[in-house]
Amino acid sequence: MLFNSIDFALFLPLVFVLYWFVTNQNLKVQNFLIVVASYVFYGWWDWRFLSLILFSTLVDYFIGLGLKSEKHQTKRLLLLWTSISVNLGFLGFFKYYNFFLDNFITAFSFFGQEIQANSLNIILPVGISFYTFQTLSYTIDVYKRKLEPTRNFIAFAAFVSFFPQLVAGPIERATHLLPQFYTKRKFDYTKAVDGMRQILWGLFKKIVIADNCAEFANQIFNNSDHLGGSTLVLGALFFTFQIYGDFSGYSDIAIGTSRLFGFDLMQNFNFPYFARDIAEFWRRWHISLSTWFRDYLYIPLGGSRGGTAMKVKNTFIIFIVSGFWHGANWTFIVWGALNALYFLPLLLTNRNRNNLESIAKGKIFPSFKELGMIVFTFLLTLLAWIFFRAENIGHAFSYLSEIFSTSLFTIPHFKRMMYAAVILMLVAGFVIVEWLGREGQYAIAHIHHALNRPLRWLFYALIIFAIGMFMPSVESPFIYFQF
Amino acid sequence: MKKFIQNTMFFLVIATILYLLFLFLWGRFAPGVLKPNINYFMGSYGHMFSRVSEAKQLDEKDILFLGSSHAYRGFDTRIFEEKGYSCFNLGSSAQTPIQTEILLKRYVDQIRPKCVVFEVYPPAFGSEGVESSLDLIANDVNDWHAVEMAFKIHNIKTYNTLAYGIFQDQLGEKKSFVEARIKEKDTYIPGGYVEKEVAYYQPSSLPDKKISFRDDQLEALTEILSLLKARNVQTILVYAPIPSVNYKRYVNTPYFDSTMSKFATYYNFNQSLSLNDSLHFYDSHHLNQNGVELFNQHMIEIFEKDGILPLK
Repeated sequence: MLFNSIDFALFLPLVFVLYWFVTNQNLKVQNFLIVVASYVFYGWWDWRFLSLILFSTLVDYFIGLGLKSEKHQTKRLLLLWTSISVNLGFLGFFKYYNFFLDNFITAFSFFGQEIQANSLNIILPVGISFYTFQTLSYTIDVYKRKLEPTRNFIAFAAFVSFFPQLVAGPIERATHLLPQFYTKRKFDYTKAVDGMRQILWGLFKKIVIADNCAEFANQIFNNSDHLGGSTLVLGALFFTFQIYGDFSGYSDIAIGTSRLFGFDLMQNFNFPYFARDIAEFWRRWHISLSTWFRDYLYIPLGGSRGGTAMKVKNTFIIFIVSGFWHGANWTFIVWGALNALYFLPLLLTNRNRNNLESIAKGKIFPSFKELGMIVFTFLLTLLAWIFFRAENIGHAFSYLSEIFSTSLFTIPHFKRMMYAAVILMLVAGFVIVEWLGREGQYAIAHIHHALNRPLRWLFYALIIFAIGMFMPSVESPFIYFQF
Repeated sequence: MKKFIQNTMFFLVIATILYLLFLFLWGRFAPGVLKPNINYFMGSYGHMFSRVSEAKQLDEKDILFLGSSHAYRGFDTRIFEEKGYSCFNLGSSAQTPIQTEILLKRYVDQIRPKCVVFEVYPPAFGSEGVESSLDLIANDVNDWHAVEMAFKIHNIKTYNTLAYGIFQDQLGEKKSFVEARIKEKDTYIPGGYVEKEVAYYQPSSLPDKKISFRDDQLEALTEILSLLKARNVQTILVYAPIPSVNYKRYVNTPYFDSTMSKFATYYNFNQSLSLNDSLHFYDSHHLNQNGVELFNQHMIEIFEKDGILPLK
């Protein structure tokens, strides 16, 4: 079920009413409702893959209990690796089987060996990368004794399948989300209104910004062989805002929906395009994944403790793995490696934790230096997104080579340029709103205090009108569903 | 909780009112490029405004033609009139069965045809029907049938344009509008036909396509047939000629033919009439006037041979 669909617009109030009016007297029943609603939400897409979620839930639930009762360290380690193998096994099969097979065939043919193997027609289950990582965080934390395993299966099943964030995150830690299923939720008016506001902003980002930018990004990337450098720069710019609007929009809707049900999810995006360097960008982009890799990969690998060489090696590992997590294509790996390269100078000069405070805190405008840093970081990010969006490595390089040619100085030319100009104006307005609201959890969070009710409602009505006026005719799925 | 629900409901009411207000103002004053989801154009391509204006004044006719632009550009009412058959052409641009159903509900009891010739073009059955819905909203009356159509199509562009169209109707915009009879190369002929200045098609190869049926379009077709059956109106489905390069691109035409045959008496004139792609068409799917004359004469002959005409 898509957040930006009529199905969800009917599903959400129905679950809300059942949750607060029918099942609110009994925590177990309320949690059970979440499980049922989440399975319906997921099964709407393809009910067959519910068995994967259920299996993963059962495996990690019992392994969690096993880790609690088992005293012998080797056996505990074996249990942990069973969980990791099962979860990553599913992920590996569904997401990476064909990638590895194709690359093995290519590698062997390079050495003159012909291997006969057929790739499989595998459907990638929506959100598998997200819920796999979420359940893994549970078993790893239980193994490290950071978390008590739960005996409450319903609460655990609800934690694994919680519908607002099941298919595209934020990837929650068991230590943060699971305990919220143990305690009775109280309806909080302010929190619910805030949730609604965040949902509205998320819908705006997805429908008005991302889906409209997608039209031009797709048009330009799909025909890049015939277009000049200036047009390709615009294509990359459209994709830069498409991916941000799409993914951060999803996160806003997920977080807002959770708040309606009395849950708090972690912030997943913190205005990343205002970052002053790449290290700051990665502290602000897909925070739940970056911190997951930091806690469960970077630190176990030794983190920054073993000198410069180890820091560099570990940095490259997490960036490349993070890239590979996004998809079974070399483009994602290069995208990850490129970001590691961007990161390297900061790491080697110990400047990777320079910009920890808010950008231009308390000021309307940034200083020229800050503006320069923001623009430079944004351009680096924009160039990296070309690898993320390209069909293959060759496509990415030909795209880049055309950008860095004399055609960069020609007038852009593509279909529906007038409408593209309108969308760029909307993007500019969107950036201004994001800038003004950059100190909040999301861009319009401060509206509650900044405007009185009539003006606030007028502002919301304008957002709704913009959605109605600029919504593309066809519903688009969220990009991150494919990951 | 009570406060939350009350405020949410109140906000929804206010937001709806404001949305409609913004829609009206935006639709009226904003330039076209800023209103992608309001597509209200009175007197749009295809002379639909003139056609429905004429339809409102009509009395009983022998034959009523319905369908897409292949109908209003393919069934020349003058040729049928010459043969003694009174007729009217209620085709419209990109008309799909969903719009045909609405038009029939509006006009069938007034026109009281003995026979309906419904032009069926494969892409119409795979289309959502948005384009045609906008044509109807801007050029015909916006009644409950229009609201029903909007819900069936379920597209933001149709909803917005309908809401805006209702405002326009209330302001009486359509009453004062006069559509030119000649627009560029098109001339509106009383009776609903649009004659285009003769031009010739230069065929080029077209990529293969598969015909698909949307459930809602087939449901609408079923509704149309039962509506006509209830009025004892004979219904003929016609696949009008298109250039052979276009016709051959559809890889599953036999499937389309057999599906249509199950619904009603069906003629695929692409099989029984041999036309020249260049001489008898002006683009990849429209007959030019030379082609129309040959097609209409042939159709009348076939219908007379098969006992459909003269009408009983």
